[in-house]
Amino acid sequence: MEGKYEFEKKFRDQVLRCSSCGFCRAVCPVFGLTKRPALNARGKMLILKEVMDGNVDLNDELIETLFQCTNCTSCTAQCPSGVDPPEIIKQVRKDMVHTGSCHPAFEGMNQVLQEHTNIYAEDEPEDFERERNRKAEYVFFIGCVGAYREDEATMATLDLLDHLDVDYTMINEVCCSGVLEDVGFQINQDLAQKNVDLVLSTGAKTVITGCPYCARTFNNKVQYQTLKDKGVEIIHISQFLKDFDLGVKTDKVVTYHDPCDLGRHCGIYEEPRQIIRKIAPNFVELRHNRANALCCGAGGGVRGAYPKNSIDMARRRLEEVEEIGAEIVLTECNSCVHNLKNAKLRAQKFEIFTTTQFLNQLLEEAG
Amino acid sequence: MDTTIKQSLKEIVGAENFTDSLIDLIAYSKDASEHRHRPDAAVWPVNTGQVSAIMKLASREKLPIVPRGAGTSLAGLAVPEQGGIILDLGRMDKIIDINIEDRLAVVQPGVVYADLDRALSPHGFFFPPDPASGSVCTLGGNVATNAGGIKGAKYGTTKDYVLALEVVLPDGRILHTGSKCMKSVSGYDLTRLFVGSEGTLGVVTEITFKINPKPPLVSTSMANFETLEDAGRAVSEIMYSGIIPSALEVIDQQTLIAINQNTDLNLPEVEALLVAETDGYTREETEFQMAKIVSIFKKNNATTTRQADSKEEAEALWTARKSAYGVLARINNNLIVEDLAVPMSKVPDMLRAISELSKKHNLRIPTVGHAGDGNLHPVICFDGTNADEVKRVEEASAELFEKVIELGGTLTGEHGIGLAKVPFMGLEHDEISMDIMRSIKRLFDPNNILNPRKMGLEE
Ligand SMILES: Cc1cc2nc3c(=O)[nH]c(=O)nc-3n(C[C@H](O)[C@H](O)[C@H](O)COP(=O)(O)OP(=O)(O)OC[C@H]3O[C@@H](n4cnc5c(N)ncnc54)[C@H](O)[C@@H]3O)c2cc1C
Repeated sequence: MEGKYEFEKKFRDQVLRCSSCGFCRAVCPVFGLTKRPALNARGKMLILKEVMDGNVDLNDELIETLFQCTNCTSCTAQCPSGVDPPEIIKQVRKDMVHTGSCHPAFEGMNQVLQEHTNIYAEDEPEDFERERNRKAEYVFFIGCVGAYREDEATMATLDLLDHLDVDYTMINEVCCSGVLEDVGFQINQDLAQKNVDLVLSTGAKTVITGCPYCARTFNNKVQYQTLKDKGVEIIHISQFLKDFDLGVKTDKVVTYHDPCDLGRHCGIYEEPRQIIRKIAPNFVELRHNRANALCCGAGGGVRGAYPKNSIDMARRRLEEVEEIGAEIVLTECNSCVHNLKNAKLRAQKFEIFTTTQFLNQLLEEAG
Repeated sequence: MDTTIKQSLKEIVGAENFTDSLIDLIAYSKDASEHRHRPDAAVWPVNTGQVSAIMKLASREKLPIVPRGAGTSLAGLAVPEQGGIILDLGRMDKIIDINIEDRLAVVQPGVVYADLDRALSPHGFFFPPDPASGSVCTLGGNVATNAGGIKGAKYGTTKDYVLALEVVLPDGRILHTGSKCMKSVSGYDLTRLFVGSEGTLGVVTEITFKINPKPPLVSTSMANFETLEDAGRAVSEIMYSGIIPSALEVIDQQTLIAINQNTDLNLPEVEALLVAETDGYTREETEFQMAKIVSIFKKNNATTTRQADSKEEAEALWTARKSAYGVLARINNNLIVEDLAVPMSKVPDMLRAISELSKKHNLRIPTVGHAGDGNLHPVICFDGTNADEVKRVEEASAELFEKVIELGGTLTGEHGIGLAKVPFMGLEHDEISMDIMRSIKRLFDPNNILNPRKMGLEE
């Protein structure tokens, strides 16, 4: 059957295959917070069925649900029928943008990346006191959140890389712009090309990213294919650090929050734990961990578009930290750190770091 | 719906707990069945007082009200067939009390089954029904459907655990039934009347459950049978052997084929596979029971039997049964999960009949079930956009239910009548029992505002 919208052509069968069992209720972070069935994957699929039946058009009335998905893919992981709702939703968002229905925050994001080189529209890049764009074995790619919001974590990562004598350089990086694909637009070709060219000019054979989302974009998007064609490998910092033994330890009770972008999206669950177990004998898992991990609420453009719900989702995640009495929460994503830190209540005494930042702190304490 | 009514609803629950947005109306138009109809509005009450006020308003204005938990009903119970207002109890989700001394748990209706389980587990207790939808379905929904699960043969179903209820009646009065005592024969058993009443008599706003200590150990085994008859004989013999397994599940050939097509489990594609579990407090106790079951399997020509030696192995044996819904849900665009029950000795006859119906109507009807209590789930997989196939599904369903009743069975073991089985009520219930059921409905709900069109209560 010919559909009116692109998503029907690509995903009609999948939308129909949703059996409405409602199992996504158990895992959807947006539903878990709001208890509103229209916002979980089943609700979204029902709405799309009505669109395919011609009863409803993709229009502004649907923005609140279709633009409120963190793309955490926990529903995909749980779905008995094998439906992958976030993939469908990403296409629907493109269709909606095409028909002129888009959340203003998402439109803003696209606008910003037309005019600026990063999602925060910051014109003065943090310089991190290191020379950039030199020949080196590795490129360290920071990502927007690490560069402009969690710069302390980034500084710590760089110090750690120095401590380990890694031959790396940074580049005059620009936003990987992968997020645009999630919020209804396309990767910005110019930005992508700039990153590719800068990486290649360093002669590096490996890009280490501080951000799991950037790693995904580099690895999966055609705009970055040249890197792979030229034999450049892209890894996340947790993959790089897993084999080092730094000889430092903490007595504190430590837990780990699996970022959706590293965990469910890339299947990387063990490397971060490998690092943490070496430094933290008192390691405790959160109730929802690995493929079941609960999203911090920041992804899929939700932090920008629905800031209150985004923070409240992070609060729910932090309740699980309290449940197990952890003193330190480690994660591998600056965006998660950022959202979780913003959500942390004053009464909550635990601290939140990226693993590398915490490692570096232990090294500094050890002298 | 009138704007003044909407305004009144907003005043009762607060604007943030009222909706008439298109997205919500669509999301509430369906449950896990194939039925679909939109409500006119939905509310999320947060306490009993609000539910009562809503019911008073609804009585006055003659508005249909459909209570809703997680909307996982497989028979259309939660679909607002006549429009009206969805009363979503999901925001009344507090566990009010867990009282181990008195063996009680008191909960609001929106608590999810798994959340109660998690809260009871540190005390070594559980609420046994264990529906397969336990990660999402609500306890209010469990009460309203008298939910069961794989532990039915040994531990019964929801009705065996509900001691007391707080129920808001259609006129808004708040009724308290039962008591917190383990025993009570004081007056009519109003509690039981509400269990399984599918939201047609009142809105459950608080539940007091009896809870059970959870035996910590289990033994698990699996056996393959070349013929349904052998498997059926094994089931009957187990059930009168004096041993009561904590689970005894059957998986038929079509399901095994489907599982093999979708997983690497490589199961033998025999006519029936049985999975059994025994539980207890010592290894000796669980193994003693299991040894007896395995000997009955063998006596009835099981081609192979496998017993799990570790927790992981036990989980592996369960994988086949537990993956069934997921595998069957992928076969085609639509699926109807039937829920008949027959006397235990008739399980093989029923399985044989299902297999014949499947051939006759050229439909895929893989079947799994709780063999230990005679409750079978034939899963009709079809393409809802294929009119011819839909017609064959309807014909096969009608013949299926005729066969069920002929074998002395019942239309539904645990999912309820809802909308799906309304046409077949007359097969099972004679005029006298329908008349009494309708009188009860009228007594509680003279204006027929609570979950109308369900259970065949309308003439
Ligand atoms: C994959 C899958 C597996 C399943 N497995 C099982 C199983 O093993 N065993 C089993 O028994 N069922 C099973 N079910 C069916 C379903 O989960 C149960 O019927 C469950 O009890 C419904 O709970 P719910 O919260 O989803 O209720 P809903 O579907 O929302 O509602 C069901 C009925 O209860 C009424 N209701 C809900 N809350 C209240 C209340 N507070 N007061 C009054 N009426 C109320 C509704 O009006 C409706 O009539 C399964 C369903 C699916 C999709």
